[in-house]
Amino acid sequence: MSAQLPASLSEETVREISEGRDEPEWLLETRLNALEALETVDLPDVIQTPGRRWTNLEALDFEDLVDPLNQSDETERVTDEGVHVLPFTEAFDEFGDVLEENFGQTVAPESNYLTALSTALFTTGTFIYVPEGVDAKDVKVRAEMNSKSLFSHTLVVTEDSSSVTILERIESGGSTEGDRYFSNLVEIATGENSYVQYGSLQNLDDDTYHYTLKRGDADVYGTINWIEGNMGSRLTRSDVETELNGDSSETQIVGAFFGHEDQHLDLNARVWHQAENTTADLVTRGVLDDEARSVYEGVQDVGRDAWNTSSYQRENTLMLSDESEADASPKLIIHNHDTEASHSATVGQVDKEDLFYMTSRSVPERTARNMLVEGFFVPVLDEIAVDEFREDLEELISARLR
Amino acid sequence: MSSDQDHLKETDTEARFEFKKEQNSSFQTEKGLTEETVRVISEDKDEPEWMLQRRLRALKQFQEMPMPTDWPGQPDLSEVDVNEIVPYIRPDVETRGSVDDWTDLPDDIKDTFDKLGIPEAEKNALSGVGAQYESEVVYQNMQERWQEKGVVFMNMDQAVQEHEDIVKEYFMTKCVPPSDNKFAALHGAIWSGGSFVYVPEDTTVDMPVQAYFRMNSEGMGQFEHTLIVAEEGSEVHYIEGCSAPKYSAFNLHSGGVEVFVGEDAHVQYSTVQNWSKNTYNLNTKRAIVEKNGRMEWISGSMGSKATMLYPATILKGRGASDNHITIAFAGEGQNIDTGAKVYHNAPDTKSTIESKSISKDGGRTNYRGLVHISEGAENSSTAVECDALMFDNESTSDTMPYMEINESTVDVAHEATVGKIGDEDIFYLQSRGLDDDDAKQMIVSGFIEPITEELPIEYAVELNRLVELEMEGSLG
Repeated sequence: MSAQLPASLSEETVREISEGRDEPEWLLETRLNALEALETVDLPDVIQTPGRRWTNLEALDFEDLVDPLNQSDETERVTDEGVHVLPFTEAFDEFGDVLEENFGQTVAPESNYLTALSTALFTTGTFIYVPEGVDAKDVKVRAEMNSKSLFSHTLVVTEDSSSVTILERIESGGSTEGDRYFSNLVEIATGENSYVQYGSLQNLDDDTYHYTLKRGDADVYGTINWIEGNMGSRLTRSDVETELNGDSSETQIVGAFFGHEDQHLDLNARVWHQAENTTADLVTRGVLDDEARSVYEGVQDVGRDAWNTSSYQRENTLMLSDESEADASPKLIIHNHDTEASHSATVGQVDKEDLFYMTSRSVPERTARNMLVEGFFVPVLDEIAVDEFREDLEELISARLR
Repeated sequence: MSSDQDHLKETDTEARFEFKKEQNSSFQTEKGLTEETVRVISEDKDEPEWMLQRRLRALKQFQEMPMPTDWPGQPDLSEVDVNEIVPYIRPDVETRGSVDDWTDLPDDIKDTFDKLGIPEAEKNALSGVGAQYESEVVYQNMQERWQEKGVVFMNMDQAVQEHEDIVKEYFMTKCVPPSDNKFAALHGAIWSGGSFVYVPEDTTVDMPVQAYFRMNSEGMGQFEHTLIVAEEGSEVHYIEGCSAPKYSAFNLHSGGVEVFVGEDAHVQYSTVQNWSKNTYNLNTKRAIVEKNGRMEWISGSMGSKATMLYPATILKGRGASDNHITIAFAGEGQNIDTGAKVYHNAPDTKSTIESKSISKDGGRTNYRGLVHISEGAENSSTAVECDALMFDNESTSDTMPYMEINESTVDVAHEATVGKIGDEDIFYLQSRGLDDDDAKQMIVSGFIEPITEELPIEYAVELNRLVELEMEGSLG
């Protein structure tokens, strides 16, 4: 279903944004095409079962949420030797060709209404370029949203035999009246034999609607690993996706979420196996408290030519309250028989026996429960190789439990 | 196994399923679907006014509802044009309704069912059998000792006349209303034939009751209705078999099955369907289970061009339980989209779903399932297990489970695996002197064993034989 085009949106708006940033002609064209596409493209698909849509994106009032000319953010970027980490506006001169070649290739601007909106309006974001043979550690991007709406676009390009770890943290800054909208597109294009780890930790305030689409294109012998932590926001729609287009490429998607109050988290992890000898591992764990609701979809799609595929998916949800709801749909779509694939999903509560055991050892009940919840996240935390990121996530989890 | 049962193993299954008969009907409606058609069917069956009204209401709903087109990965139904099917054919049986003596059947119909092995199976292991040919039940028998206990097994058209109160209460009212989906509505408008089973309180029918459905004519639709009412503390096992030969035009099968499982009652519903590979099999099957009742669905889906079938159970009373065991086999040109739906609507309810699929030569199987746990259904548990076996990269196997969990004190687990036949397993069997085909056949038989062991021996043998034929690629 298509959403209404906000009245504040016009070709002039888009031109003004582009000119203000002194952008090259091709980017203005891309923005204008995206704007035009808004008339025809639909909102992202959401899961439907008889009688209900699992997430109601139609309810988003873009007229109210989108204020394109007053975007404001504070973004801190920490780089490592040999890597180029720049706001787009500073990259046009030196890396114009790389930008033009890769922008919008992995995430097509016309994918859906929300990607088109983001492409037409983005004012912040980061360009990360890792030249051939560079091994970089810990590139950090810390973004603070300071306006009613903010559109961000991140493009990561890695050349052959390079590696990089990128840690992104997203938070709300100074408070603004009313509901807010944060849109975050991330695309990763890799060279052969390159390794990218992209961790994202979202802790927006509870007035913010949040859309993120992160997609990587893995080349031969390449690896793209994602860590997606969702703690904040009123409503989050998150899509984390890898296309395994090169032979022997790999991906891991690790997800952690903790919903409370009336948060709604629509979380999707998807992998397309398109080449031979590819491997995917999808691991998500989440906790729901109060009236929070999680919607999870995991897709493992094995193409006709994806010989010798290995693909695994696990999703576990822990429910702390009867008012919460956990919906899950882990999908396998298999077109090649030379495949080992499995998925599993479970929903349960804190184990009563464990709780009893701990309280009988004089641990107060609340403390015991919190320890069990922290313990529940351990299998996911164990998958996070970056110490700092893991500690940040642990801290946010324990803060929520206090 | 007795020697009488051996014939099922030995009879050439291919010949049993693929022979066709010349069409020889006494009455048939025009192609297509109008109010007139519905009135003609109802009048021909001498139905009470309320049934006609229900049919007309269903027709209206059918006309208003869109075709299901937006399900992810669903079979293509664009070829299904109800204006091209003959909704109703009454075969030429002298007596109106069905006969209860096998020898009274016209030779061509008798011959059909003889080839399918129906009368022998009845003698050996069944407490009753019904046989439907085209739109009407042509043979119906129930062993006397069950009749004496008040067990009713008759064709649905007859039940409308003879058990009007029960039928009026349960027929497409609470379990499968015509508004459920487009094909349930179609079924409600033009249903014909099928089985009615009624088991009184505390009665155990310890031999299965069987019905066999056969479509013989080209381009027809079959719309049988099955209504099973198992009163408190009763127990019954109903088996349904289906087949149709292959014609160039498409056939449509759109049955309706409604099962009412009373308190502490137990119903098992087993089916092995082998529709011809031009049949669209679009059924709606559902059970409502009261307190401590138990429902079991055992299904083997072999034939059809496209199947969309998700037997559903509503666990309505505390402590009710449900088991689903399904197997799907899709060969060339087949799209079998099947699964299970369970609604946990009461506390302490339990369900298990075990689904197996095999795809080969470009066939497509999909497990599409829904487990819904309502708020208040505390201490419910469900376990879903799907396994898919694939033979080649022309084939497709998908798993699309949906889980909606509204209650925290639950235990929900879903697992699915997909794999090819293990090269090592084949090597092992070959090294023991089996050839490649026999080795594969043996692995597949082992793969589907959880299903076959739940079926009475005749059906298990038939299912195995059908799988063998599919493996050889010699069926349709």
